Amino acid sequence: MGTKVVIGAWGDRKFDNRGKRFFEIEEFEELGDFREFDPGNRIKAYLGGKGFFVFDKDVSLLCAIGQYMKRAADESCGKCTPCRSGTRILVGKLQDLCARNYRKGQLQEIRELAEHIHTSSLCGLGQSATVPLLKLLDEFPEKVEEELKNGSARGTQVMHSYVTAPCIEECPSKVDVPRYIDYIKDGKFTHSVGVVLQKYPMAATCGRVCVRFCEMACRRTQVDEPVGIKVLKRFVADQQKYASEHWFDRSLIPDPKPADLKVAVIGAGPAGISAAYHLLLKGYPVEVFEAMTQPGGMAAVGIPEYRLPKEDILRKEVAIIEDLGGTIHYNQRMGRDFTLNDLIDRGFKSVFLGVGAHKGKALGVPGEEGSVQGYITGVKFLLFINHYHINLGLDMDLGSKMVVVGGGNVAMDCVRSALRMGVKEVHLVYRRTRDEMPADMEEIEAAEHEGVIFHYLTHPTRLISKDGKVTGIELTKMEQGTPDASGRRRVMPVTGSEFTLDTDFVVPAIGQRVDQAFISPEQGVEFNSWGLIEANEQTLRTTRRGVFAGGDAVTGPATLIEAMAQGQQAAESIDDYLTHGRLVFRPERRFHQLLKGMRKLQSEEVEQPIRHLYRVKVDELDPETRKRKFEEVEKPISVEAAYKEANRCMRCYRVCSVVTEK
Amino acid sequence: MNAIINGRPVEFTEDTTILEAARAHGQFIPTLCELADIGHTPGTCRMCMVEVTAQGQDKPQLLTACDTPIEEGMVIRTRTPEVRQHQRLQMELLLADHNQDCASCVRHGDCELQDVAQFVGLQNTRFSDPEFFAGRCVDRTSPAIQRDMTKCVRCQRCIAVCRDVQGTDVLVFTGKGVRAEVGVRDSIAMKDSDCISCGQCTLVCPVGALAEKDDTERVIDYFYDPDIYTVIQIAPATRVALGEEFNMGYGSNVEGRLISAFQQLGADVVLDTNFTADLVIMEEGNELLQRVTDGGVLPMFTSCSPGWVNWLEKNHPERLPHLSTVKSPQQCFGAIAKTYLADKMQVDPARMRVISIMPCTAKKEEALRPEFTGASGIKGRPDVDVVLTTRECARLLKREGIWLPGLPEGRYDNEWMGEYSGAAEIFGTTGGVTEAAIRTLHFAVTGQELEGIDFLPIRGYENMREAEVDLGPKGKIKVGVAHGLAAAKTMIERVNNGEADYTFIEFMGCPGGCMGGGGQPRIKKNYQTFWHERQQAIYKIDSDAAIRQSHNNPHIQKIYKEFLGEPLGHKSHELLHTSYRDRKVQVKHDMKTIWDEIRS
Repeated sequence: MGTKVVIGAWGDRKFDNRGKRFFEIEEFEELGDFREFDPGNRIKAYLGGKGFFVFDKDVSLLCAIGQYMKRAADESCGKCTPCRSGTRILVGKLQDLCARNYRKGQLQEIRELAEHIHTSSLCGLGQSATVPLLKLLDEFPEKVEEELKNGSARGTQVMHSYVTAPCIEECPSKVDVPRYIDYIKDGKFTHSVGVVLQKYPMAATCGRVCVRFCEMACRRTQVDEPVGIKVLKRFVADQQKYASEHWFDRSLIPDPKPADLKVAVIGAGPAGISAAYHLLLKGYPVEVFEAMTQPGGMAAVGIPEYRLPKEDILRKEVAIIEDLGGTIHYNQRMGRDFTLNDLIDRGFKSVFLGVGAHKGKALGVPGEEGSVQGYITGVKFLLFINHYHINLGLDMDLGSKMVVVGGGNVAMDCVRSALRMGVKEVHLVYRRTRDEMPADMEEIEAAEHEGVIFHYLTHPTRLISKDGKVTGIELTKMEQGTPDASGRRRVMPVTGSEFTLDTDFVVPAIGQRVDQAFISPEQGVEFNSWGLIEANEQTLRTTRRGVFAGGDAVTGPATLIEAMAQGQQAAESIDDYLTHGRLVFRPERRFHQLLKGMRKLQSEEVEQPIRHLYRVKVDELDPETRKRKFEEVEKPISVEAAYKEANRCMRCYRVCSVVTEK
Repeated sequence: MNAIINGRPVEFTEDTTILEAARAHGQFIPTLCELADIGHTPGTCRMCMVEVTAQGQDKPQLLTACDTPIEEGMVIRTRTPEVRQHQRLQMELLLADHNQDCASCVRHGDCELQDVAQFVGLQNTRFSDPEFFAGRCVDRTSPAIQRDMTKCVRCQRCIAVCRDVQGTDVLVFTGKGVRAEVGVRDSIAMKDSDCISCGQCTLVCPVGALAEKDDTERVIDYFYDPDIYTVIQIAPATRVALGEEFNMGYGSNVEGRLISAFQQLGADVVLDTNFTADLVIMEEGNELLQRVTDGGVLPMFTSCSPGWVNWLEKNHPERLPHLSTVKSPQQCFGAIAKTYLADKMQVDPARMRVISIMPCTAKKEEALRPEFTGASGIKGRPDVDVVLTTRECARLLKREGIWLPGLPEGRYDNEWMGEYSGAAEIFGTTGGVTEAAIRTLHFAVTGQELEGIDFLPIRGYENMREAEVDLGPKGKIKVGVAHGLAAAKTMIERVNNGEADYTFIEFMGCPGGCMGGGGQPRIKKNYQTFWHERQQAIYKIDSDAAIRQSHNNPHIQKIYKEFLGEPLGHKSHELLHTSYRDRKVQVKHDMKTIWDEIRS
């Protein structure tokens, strides 16, 4: 779906359809759907870092650009001269121009300033702030004359503005990355971590295990390497004592809700904790019900201790929920200890289901039927190690040789944990090639360094056991065929290539499902064909009124940051439901959609030569030492290194604005 | 690698900026925020724009020279009409939110911003608006340093020095847009903050945003008040630096002229802090011997640098027992002047005002410590009444119409405190206190003077040094030196880790010791460049001195005989020794305040 553009200038493209009648204008597909902002509210124009689009000929562009410039001036960090003073001066000049009669020379001075700010600003904000103005002055000078003559520039128009950057847009939680990096540059670590904590309480956790969508979007990659966004987050989170020194208390809650407006959160995993956090900050009484005896969900049982220390990091961050007045009930499994209907009967007005996807998938090969000793799924394997072994001190007999099947991060966690449990020989079997492995490259390399034996283009065909105990696994070689619709090359078995690997233990880490035992069908929460909880994408409402869901239980096995983002989204929906009874329009979310729709138009190349500054190296425990213990592998970085790394951020901020009807 | 700047071929190596390459080839590009001596190129002023045509491109780009790497085949032009026009406009924008009350500014006539305005040929300032700087912070709470953020140009040199050179990390960048300024961590007043008053930030500020607190007015009051009896003390490091403010060469010794200047101004007695530096050596040397003999806390740390003492009190109070209890020479002077000297000269100490000329901003704060009051018999009256930095001393002379180079060589002529040794003079440089102490310690232990007098192993520029001294019957001891607080921090870490096997460590808050003190003359676009010349001058004063060891100063011998009795005696304890306090700054953070600030 595209939008009809009346006039526009974007990058080096110009649009002028003023000669056509509206129905004759072709929709501009690359822009996506810009027809309405919120339902019934037409978008009349869009202004962004590379120019503008006008969808309604009655828009005053000069007036809109003045408002846009005001927002840029307000956002200026104030470090570089042209952006700090220049944008502010330009706001005044534009107001002056629009308010009074046009004087000769005024436009020339404005153009000179705009060009200067664009050319000489230090970061993306200043460089892009005057682009719509320059495009207008250069491409449509007659439109400027016209607006000045007919006085249309004098009024104000309804405008919504939003400031973002590529890293922010890619982050599921929309963390203001350049801002927290700015605060590091500025030496204000308290504020830096404060920016992250606006989105979720588990900053130090995320700083350790995040998959970093932000770094994949980082424009610094075009110069040398992406900014170490994750390592900086860990740095500020570790420096600051927001959890241990109880920075959070009830004084943070400006608007406490009545005691009977209470919300139940099922699952103290990333989704549940994030939902509880935002609900508490909005003033709702919150009780969290957790099936395990410890918080963290998959972050606790699925992520090994060497990547995320549980006691010092995860549990302290989860305790913020209690600092904010929330309660966590442990050892309370839904479907075993209570039901959804019980909660409603106990007076909970809304329920959030963040139960996760904890049931591992089996290999689906002959020999695995029934109970075979030495054969458990990856997620269960990690649970045993992280919970029963490390927390409760129970022994596990893993034998001396193990085979893990799969190519994701869970598989990597399994092989690396197995080494630390003392397994002598650890094999990993993956049916495609190394390049296609979904696991993080850092994880793959770490496993390689620690001595895991990798078998690519290999797939299990049969589990071999004797007297109910695993003794081996039959594998087949695979070969690559033509690419499928998704672009990935198909793989198929090579006939006759079967071979047997003797082993004491086989761990399939090929995916997880939602364990649906927590709820019975008559309670009204339905599942979709993937076996996931059916939830509206916008609101995360389930099929039962007042019940919301998020995290792995809705998305299928995903990441910490996506689960935390859904927790926040659900908290907002629950707030809307409990205060208004309906979903409230959130301009920021609409901007995410609009920007996503025009992604192709947003991409920007770095146009200037920039000094190479290589990314901070994180010290690690030596592979020989670390592979036998669960101590955290990655060491913290120094303050000096953090300042250096923060200075690599190019601050790709952009202002985006829409002029709307109302 | 090769490129062309202004039509001339230039050679360069990888990772060179256009600015570095241009400078190496004698091509001038105006800059404001960068400071090459500390590798500071924040790229914030955007003055250094040049026209660059990259290899294989036909269209030139305007880029800043300080943060753009020069690349093979680049053609760079620095003086095109377009470049000059953009530089002029940049200067107009810089001045737009700068408080241009230049006549009252501490940097009047000595301002890097004015210089750059001249370089670019600024004709007018179209955009100035006082609204832009209204509401910015002016903090005069510190007795040492004043901050006037209406003048700040956001070069962030002060932050770099505070963070990287000194490791104190007190200054932060705060606010947005035209409200942006350099603030103090956790938004607390300068006097209550972790700032240790070293004044290194004032040495690099290109404008009048950071400066010493000016106390010249009070000194003029004293000079022209007939009821006041003024006593001047001149610190060793000031005499080899003050000349720079009067266009004299680096390292000129202006001691004699300075004495004349104060005599001309009507000072009642002009004396030298070097006298009490000798006294400090007598006390400190004996304290060290006592600690070694009685099993006291070792290594012993020197206590004459107030920036260092502040830093230790605020950062490592658990290490305070290591500090020598001897007051600094400045404070020993105050206490002795208002007792011994007042008595000898038959002056009522209540009428006496001690004025110090110091290379140091932290000395202003030191003089106000409650521990250092009351020697005059008046409770709470500071022993040292007012401290002028070297820069203020120059300002005072200029305000009084005195041009230093034209003055005759004066002499100290006081029969009680008028002599000093070469050992005292070298207090003004890193390693000097140690060397002075060793000269006296060697004599005290062995009964013989140190052979060759000079103790060269401890001299040098490295920020941490060590040496071994043979004290004969007492065996060998190791001594350490650290100057600049980043080095001090490392040294304390070594002490904490048990890696510092020293008996004695000399700490100086500023790089170079008092040579690079925060109150010394500043040289535009330079940082700590010329203290080596100043240091050579100090060593020359020492080597030319008739008396080279503190214990051989006849006036020191006299004061012990007639007044103090013996080192570490009862009277010494009362007047020359002090104690220290835990002054760790505790800030309780809470999320509400932080979030409110983030949202504002």
